[in-house]
Amino acid sequence: MSNYYIEGIAPQAVHTPRNADELAAMLQQATADGASVVPWGGGTRQHLGNAPTRYNLALRTAHLNRTIEYHPEDLVITVEAGVRLDDLQDRLAQNGQWLPWAPPSASAASIGGLLASGASGPLRLGYGIPRDWVLALRVALGDGRIVKSGARVVKNVAGYDSHKLHIGALGTLGVILEATFKTLPLPECKHSVLTAYSKPLNILQALEQLRAAPLNPVSLVALNRTTAERLPSLQGFMHDQPDHLIIVARFAGVSAAVNRQIREAVIRGIDAGASCVDLDEHNEALFWRDIANFSAPLDDGALMLRLGAPSSQLLDQSRLLEPIMRNYGWPVARMVYAGVGLSFVRWYLPADPDPDEATAALAEVRSAMAAIKGYAVVEDAPAALRRTLDIWGPPPSAASLMRSLKAQWDPAGILNPGRYVV
Amino acid sequence: MPGSCSQLIAALVEVLGERGVLHRPEELMLYEYDGSSLDQALPQIVTVPATTDEVAAVVRITVAHGRPVVARGAGTGLSGGSVAESGGVVISLARMNTIIAIDPHNRTAVVQAGAVNLTLSEQAADYGLHFAPDPSSQRSCTIGGNAATNAGGPYCLKYGVMTNHVLAATVVLSDGSIAHLGSLAPDEPGYDLLGVMVGNEGTLGIITEVTVRLLPISEDVQTFLAIYDDLDQASASVSAIIAAGIIPTAMEMLAGRGIAAVEESVHAGYPADARAVLLIEIDGLREELKTWARLIVEICRRMGAREVQVANDPAQRARLWAGRKGALAACARIAPRYHIQDGVVPRSRLPEALRFTETVADRYDLTIVNIFHAGDGNLHPLLLFDLRTPGILERAVAASEEILRMCVDVGGTISGEHGIGIEKRAYLHWMFTADDLAAFRQLRTVFDPTGLLNPTKLIPLHESYAKTSFAQSVGQTTMLDRLM
Ligand SMILES: Cc1cc2nc3c(=O)[nH]c(=O)nc-3n(C[C@H](O)[C@H](O)[C@H](O)COP(=O)(O)OP(=O)(O)OC[C@H]3O[C@@H](n4cnc5c(N)ncnc54)[C@H](O)[C@@H]3O)c2cc1C
Repeated sequence: MSNYYIEGIAPQAVHTPRNADELAAMLQQATADGASVVPWGGGTRQHLGNAPTRYNLALRTAHLNRTIEYHPEDLVITVEAGVRLDDLQDRLAQNGQWLPWAPPSASAASIGGLLASGASGPLRLGYGIPRDWVLALRVALGDGRIVKSGARVVKNVAGYDSHKLHIGALGTLGVILEATFKTLPLPECKHSVLTAYSKPLNILQALEQLRAAPLNPVSLVALNRTTAERLPSLQGFMHDQPDHLIIVARFAGVSAAVNRQIREAVIRGIDAGASCVDLDEHNEALFWRDIANFSAPLDDGALMLRLGAPSSQLLDQSRLLEPIMRNYGWPVARMVYAGVGLSFVRWYLPADPDPDEATAALAEVRSAMAAIKGYAVVEDAPAALRRTLDIWGPPPSAASLMRSLKAQWDPAGILNPGRYVV
Repeated sequence: MPGSCSQLIAALVEVLGERGVLHRPEELMLYEYDGSSLDQALPQIVTVPATTDEVAAVVRITVAHGRPVVARGAGTGLSGGSVAESGGVVISLARMNTIIAIDPHNRTAVVQAGAVNLTLSEQAADYGLHFAPDPSSQRSCTIGGNAATNAGGPYCLKYGVMTNHVLAATVVLSDGSIAHLGSLAPDEPGYDLLGVMVGNEGTLGIITEVTVRLLPISEDVQTFLAIYDDLDQASASVSAIIAAGIIPTAMEMLAGRGIAAVEESVHAGYPADARAVLLIEIDGLREELKTWARLIVEICRRMGAREVQVANDPAQRARLWAGRKGALAACARIAPRYHIQDGVVPRSRLPEALRFTETVADRYDLTIVNIFHAGDGNLHPLLLFDLRTPGILERAVAASEEILRMCVDVGGTISGEHGIGIEKRAYLHWMFTADDLAAFRQLRTVFDPTGLLNPTKLIPLHESYAKTSFAQSVGQTTMLDRLM
């Protein structure tokens, strides 16, 4: 039972339905009883959002673990929501395919949980987000109705794309039962180059250099020294000089094309005054897994923020945030997903953080982000702060539409009450 | 009715001026059809607003008068979506056709909904960028219409359809309010309302402005044309290319007895006795192209292609594409009317789907040409006919119904890109249960509690409309008369 605590709150019961119909029946019952439900996949992302205002039932998808249909020649697979992403990737790899999706905790996380929490990872620059790969979902709505949208073919416009509404909704509209994905052939090779800059530089320019034609990286991340020091896979590559910034670019595809891009990236890095290291297949796989897991909860006392803003605003974002962070004096690990406008910040607050100070710091970051049409969401925080911080920030502009949708599909408001932004 | 209509006209003129409100029969006739031409109905009024605020005012006024609101881009839609079946006010986005900004740093563009698809790609080219969704109607269709139908095109095999390229939209809702959905800041908290707005066919809101993603133009492009004596060999080539790990930019096929006719008018170099022509395009870095090109030629030959042509420069490429691009127009020359379908089958089921289509053509004694997005399994059977032949329309409709039914039976869908509109609404229940449809209807009501936004389309709110695949305001026989 203690595995199912959320911020110290225990559910009254934990149910593990044997199949989708049973799960839907439990939701129908819960709606009748007004019992609140926390859908539970791999449990790797329950740190997101507020604590539930009521928590009667943890509803596990662990037994929804079948592959429903896989036609490798069509590049389409349908799996149940409880399947773990790594298991799905193994299955696909046997047929030379993959889902170009590298979210945190892929070995333990369920497909349903990853979709519901809108998990993405460093591959999104080259391949987009899971929203782009999901062709159809089957979902049990809050009141227990089982509904689907989309189709099991790569192209479909019949009906509304309602499945998109469940992606990132944190299980507040329904419980995902089944997902159909478009898959891709595995690239012939993947190769990465690490460029370390020891002098301050224009980060945006350095990043643009690494994605200007003919370079077409599938991942491009920028890390500050504090971040690099905390990634186990980089320890062999960190030398003594105080690197100002580390950028890692990953290329994938036909070997000859990847090799040319690596060569070109190294030349551009050196021209810009960086020292360059070529990461081999083994090291680069470890490195990218570390990058994906950087946004998983690490229990390291950090306040973990997800920051989003138009990608061209990166320079302004740094200019606005750096003075704020310097002012508070707490160590900061920053990781930027270049070209997509997303970054993650782990902010290491003092051991006994002053809640007022943390609240003030978050408010300053939020107003800086708002100035560049961006936002800041708290993804993880020390237990002592979770209750006092405003996790989501201001409600979205279309909040009233969102609430009336919620009222239609989860009429008794039983799904994850109070946890989401609306 | 006429009384209240003139009040409505007066109220609209007050906002838009005389120029922005059309209501004389001869003005309205242009708006009676869309590209499908089987559905037709006269709106009572057509408005041509110039700003989002004006669109909002038109919606507010029309809804207050209890009349339907039908959004219209270029009217190239192929499912009756922009036909004002239950009358009311058409909102034409034609005047809102400005490309507001192209941002090479974010690789995005902000465009008004009425901007023409091709114009955007042409302007983006100045920055080394392009807009990927490329419906074959791209010379006239609008970005707003593309977003509203979740349009695709040949290039979406590699680059995806509209939904993968729309980042944000400004939308007028049925209460006349203006909503901003999506953002350049990724993963903003909140439900993905933009995700359902794309493909809404004018039933959830009127899109007035869209922010789209642009992609860098590839280093190199190569086009291949493979000619087959056998349909199955062509389909097998499609599957084998994908199985080899190649995702071409486009894989388009021309199949069936119409090839000769297409050749006659386009002169693309298709042998008159060929059974299938497969057009393949790849783009990327030159090393990628080199690897793929060798494989593609080898696969097509191995599968039995009688001839494989390769084009390396723009002129040669244009020649190979000419047949594909001109095919629809060429077919229009074979027969005065065509009815085009849009079902999708899993790629591996293409051979049987194409064979089935041929048997249907035989059984109904119809000429069917298939010009389609083979890589996606997206069939476009083109049923050619002359309306003077007695009973031909019924036959064509029955034949396309059988083909669509087959698509669903083998695990596909009734529409890959053209939309449901009027034409396919009666078939939705083949794919969706009553509960599925009820959830769609709830979603619709959340966005449009008035039920006045394009009311009879996609998921009609009234059961009677959900049962028929033709515009109800026009009986089938009278429509036939009028088409003749
Ligand atoms: C020769 C030909 C080739 C074609 N090839 C393709 C192809 O390759 N791929 C493809 O996907 N389609 C194709 N089509 C179909 C058609 O061009 C597309 O559906 C296109 O996206 C429609 O755009 P439009 O501006 O003409 O919209 P319209 O036909 O005016 O409207 C289509 C639908 O969208 C709604 N709508 C239009 N604008 C708005 C708006 N601003 N806000 C809300 N709703 C709106 C309308 O109410 C209607 O339901 C083709 C059509 C023709 C005639």
